[in-house]
Amino acid sequence: MDPRLMREGKRARGALYGSIGLGLLSAWVVIGQSVLLAKLVTAISFLHQPLSRLETPLLLLALLFGLRALLTYGAERLASRACLTIKTGLRAALLERLFARGPAEGAASAEHATVLLDGVEALEPYFARYLPQMYLCVAVPLAILAFVFSLDWISGLVLLVAGPLIPLFMVFVGYRAEAINQRQWLKLLALGTHFLDVLQGLTTLKLFGRARDEIAIIARISDDYRRTTMDGLRIAFLTSAVLEFFASLAIALVAVLFGARLIHGHFDFYPAFLVLLLAPEYFVPLRGLSVHYHARMSAIAAARQIFSLLDAPVPARGSAALAPAEEYEMACEKLSFAYDGRIVLQDITARFPAGSTTVIVGASGAGKTTLSRLLLGFLTPSAGRILVNGQDLAEIDPESWWRALAWVPQSPRLFKGSVEDNLALGLPARDFAGLRNAAARAHAYNFIQSLPGQFGAAIDEGGANISGGETQRLALARAYARQAKLLILDEATASLDAGTEAAILDSMEQGAGVTAIIIAHRLTLAERADQILVLQEGRLVQAGTHASLAAIPGPYRDMLRTREAAYV
Amino acid sequence: MSDIWRLIRLTAPRKGWMLAGLGLATLTLLANFGLLALSGWFLAATAAAGLAGYAAQNAFNFFTPSAMVRFFATLRVGSRYAERLVTHEATFRLLADLRVWFYTRLEPLAPAALQGQRSADLLGRIVSDIDTLNLFYLRVFVPVLTALAAALLMASFFAFFSVPAALALILGLGLNGALAPVLTARLGAGPGAAITRLNSGLRAEYVEALQGMGELLVSGAAPAMQARAAALNEELAAAQARLGGVAALGASLSGLAANATLLAVLVFGARRFEAGGLGAAQVPMLLLGAMAAFEATAPLPGALNYLGQIKTAARRIFALADQMPPISPPATAAPALQRYDLELAGVDLAYDGGRKVLDGFSLSLPQGRHVGIVGVSGSGKSTLINLLLRFHEYQAGTARLGGVDLRAFSSAQMARHATIISQRSHLFHTSIRDNLLLANGAADEAALWHALEVAQLADFVRGLAQGLDHLVGEGGASLSGGQARRIALARAVLKPAPLLILDEPTEGLDVETERAFLADLAPLLAGRSVLYITHRPAGLALMDEVYELRDGKAVRQR
Repeated sequence: MDPRLMREGKRARGALYGSIGLGLLSAWVVIGQSVLLAKLVTAISFLHQPLSRLETPLLLLALLFGLRALLTYGAERLASRACLTIKTGLRAALLERLFARGPAEGAASAEHATVLLDGVEALEPYFARYLPQMYLCVAVPLAILAFVFSLDWISGLVLLVAGPLIPLFMVFVGYRAEAINQRQWLKLLALGTHFLDVLQGLTTLKLFGRARDEIAIIARISDDYRRTTMDGLRIAFLTSAVLEFFASLAIALVAVLFGARLIHGHFDFYPAFLVLLLAPEYFVPLRGLSVHYHARMSAIAAARQIFSLLDAPVPARGSAALAPAEEYEMACEKLSFAYDGRIVLQDITARFPAGSTTVIVGASGAGKTTLSRLLLGFLTPSAGRILVNGQDLAEIDPESWWRALAWVPQSPRLFKGSVEDNLALGLPARDFAGLRNAAARAHAYNFIQSLPGQFGAAIDEGGANISGGETQRLALARAYARQAKLLILDEATASLDAGTEAAILDSMEQGAGVTAIIIAHRLTLAERADQILVLQEGRLVQAGTHASLAAIPGPYRDMLRTREAAYV
Repeated sequence: MSDIWRLIRLTAPRKGWMLAGLGLATLTLLANFGLLALSGWFLAATAAAGLAGYAAQNAFNFFTPSAMVRFFATLRVGSRYAERLVTHEATFRLLADLRVWFYTRLEPLAPAALQGQRSADLLGRIVSDIDTLNLFYLRVFVPVLTALAAALLMASFFAFFSVPAALALILGLGLNGALAPVLTARLGAGPGAAITRLNSGLRAEYVEALQGMGELLVSGAAPAMQARAAALNEELAAAQARLGGVAALGASLSGLAANATLLAVLVFGARRFEAGGLGAAQVPMLLLGAMAAFEATAPLPGALNYLGQIKTAARRIFALADQMPPISPPATAAPALQRYDLELAGVDLAYDGGRKVLDGFSLSLPQGRHVGIVGVSGSGKSTLINLLLRFHEYQAGTARLGGVDLRAFSSAQMARHATIISQRSHLFHTSIRDNLLLANGAADEAALWHALEVAQLADFVRGLAQGLDHLVGEGGASLSGGQARRIALARAVLKPAPLLILDEPTEGLDVETERAFLADLAPLLAGRSVLYITHRPAGLALMDEVYELRDGKAVRQR
């Protein structure tokens, strides 16, 4: 996973290397200031020099301190800039990819949103802290070690032994911690969706008097989360304990070993004190690495999610433009679709003549919605093909295909914004008269006028402040406003009362030259259609007009009979 | 600041864990201070003894200080590990407390207070704001109080040797740990608040874009939506860059303050040494002690940065949690009911002082009677349900169940007397079994299957590889619209209650299934009071009386 992340880091290579370079310079300044400090202390305590004679080294020390402040500032800024470049690029790429895949069946959109936001954010510590520290924790200790060896080989040996043991131990315990961390990230995702789910269903919970029970469930899930996370942390924290162990003990050992030699006059104070000043600095980068090590682990866990979305296959897209036409005729030729090995549609052959209205009926689960998603180009047929004015849909660029049509799904979605924004969704130019006309045709005009602000009325996210029936009328108006020559409606009038539905059907017939494909749950729609297709368990079992199908025994007539029975 | 006090009060039940973490963190700091200061003294003292000749070497007690050096090193390791474990354990316990506290506050407010809230916003609030609040202990409380305690103890130690050096240390720690971070926090407060706000806006934008992807693609609005998300992300990045710049400034100022302190301690130590007030070994001791002291203030810039974000999150969370419940809870325990006759007379109900949705609404539903209510969309059918289930308070008229005023019931108590098949029944992202058990936790396998049979769903569930344990997906995404509705129907079968409210129960079902369902429903109606709210004519034949809801009143149809 690291090489892949490093490749992402290339987006901001300059800033990353700049930050590392400044960090290295800063390490040299630290060595310089330690030398000056050790010299000053020796001069004061052992050479008994008065302060007045030490002004030059004191001034020099102050200068080094100033330089170090500048280097710190620069390194931090560069690292933060690098992260922002990487995150912005990744988010755009992810969103692009998700849209290229199209609306997935049963997609957990909250999960994807979590990956886009929190997942990408979790990479920040990797690039801002862990990655620069990786370089610094090799370069800085090596520089200090070489310098210490030049002063005293015994202390050099102590540091040489203690230093590499730290990364070694971290790798040793790190792997197990990483496995646990993976689980923790998945739990975090589940927790996010669990909460959204609970909040969305809070009304349902209250209706069943179970809202209070959820308190215990939230407590239990949080508690599970604590337990698994602490399992991981108990081990991850061992790395910091190991680091403390070697760092503190090495310093103690250096001090004690020097003490033994100094007391017998076998060694000078200046180099001994300089080594003691440098010893903590030797461990500083390693200390940083330990602190940011589990930042790396959660970044890696997040990266897995990110890359699995980025690497998911994108369905093949056609590249040919849809030949512009006044009218569109569609046809299915031996169309089949299977999902997860289950056949949903089989061998559908049908024609949707230009300017005609086709109503597709069938029990729920018969494959009506799947057929509409195939026609829309959201799904790719397993076999057979779909023709638009003789052109194979698989070869047509989806964007040019979608420009030609209007679609109202089963549960249409309104977006946060004004009513007008929603009606004009995706329209290149805003033509208010056209929107008003479309609203009137969809029987949405009067209710829009009754809203505070009329066409400027605010719609909340997901259309939460608009009822189901109103949403469908707005969605129909949105479809009409596109003035498309192809209209696909998937149970678009399901939430409307019969009167409104009939009025809307009247208005639909005003759109001459429009090829309409309507998935219907009510047979009232079928009576007016030029053609009725009856689907049963994924097969096309009957096709014809209302009059012809009602006259012969078969599934359609059975449906008519049950309807009559229902309305007694 | 009052939000922060309130947060601290909320965490009070965990004070044992919290204080233990605080003590261990302070001990860890002091161990390092002791190790370095003692090592500095030890080196200089042994060097001085070495130079002073044979007698001084023999008189020097080598054992005690060298044992102390090793003791401090060992103490540091142990207390560091314990500190990490204890503070994180406390953090997670606090997180669970906070989530439960928030949900408990939110639950009585729903659904009234949540109508009009963006649901993705709510997710943002609970998950990310509460996570942010939860950082308070680990990232603010512990570092600030630990630094304070350790700074005072270390400066007191310095004061034994040189009062000016002690003052310089306090001043330096103050500059490094308080002044520079406060300056940073001042500058970082704006971007910090912007980041929290933009994060939640961006999350809502992503959820909206992903859930409405199909329509966005077909209408050609996808590029515009992506551009909007990208622009919001740019704004977020800009705010993060500003915060990054402020943090960099703070870090370099803090470093400068620490180094200036070293210089001051060295100069004051040297002066005192020149004046004969200090031994040769105490100058390096003070210098190394001062170096170690700044470990205490290192996390403080981060702490104050977090404080900005925590305050914003706290304000939003508390604002949401402090809303008034739509109905005041009844003063007395739920009255026991002998009968379940429902009597509504002249009831007015308006939302937040708006127009009356129910306006002099009267209806009588004697126990066991079946009444149908029809009405066009927007005529107030949902409001009638809000009234009966005690989700919203009514302003005028009388409403009685079994002769008891409806105001004597909370919504939870009403839920016990009524079963509802709602057009908005939510399917939880879990198994079919759990979705059914929601209605009746005591139901056994046979009862679940019976409910599925009634709802015409048993064959479908039997055909699933996992059967009852099949996961329904987000919002029931792996089921068709009709199947999802039938799960809701099965739930109602599992919860027998004297009052059955059918809220557009066959909405979205095809005619054939609707008819079959209504036929199966008929025997279930026997003996229960039924209120059947619909705009579809099917099933009204099962009702004894039918009213139309028009202009906020019930008008008898038959």
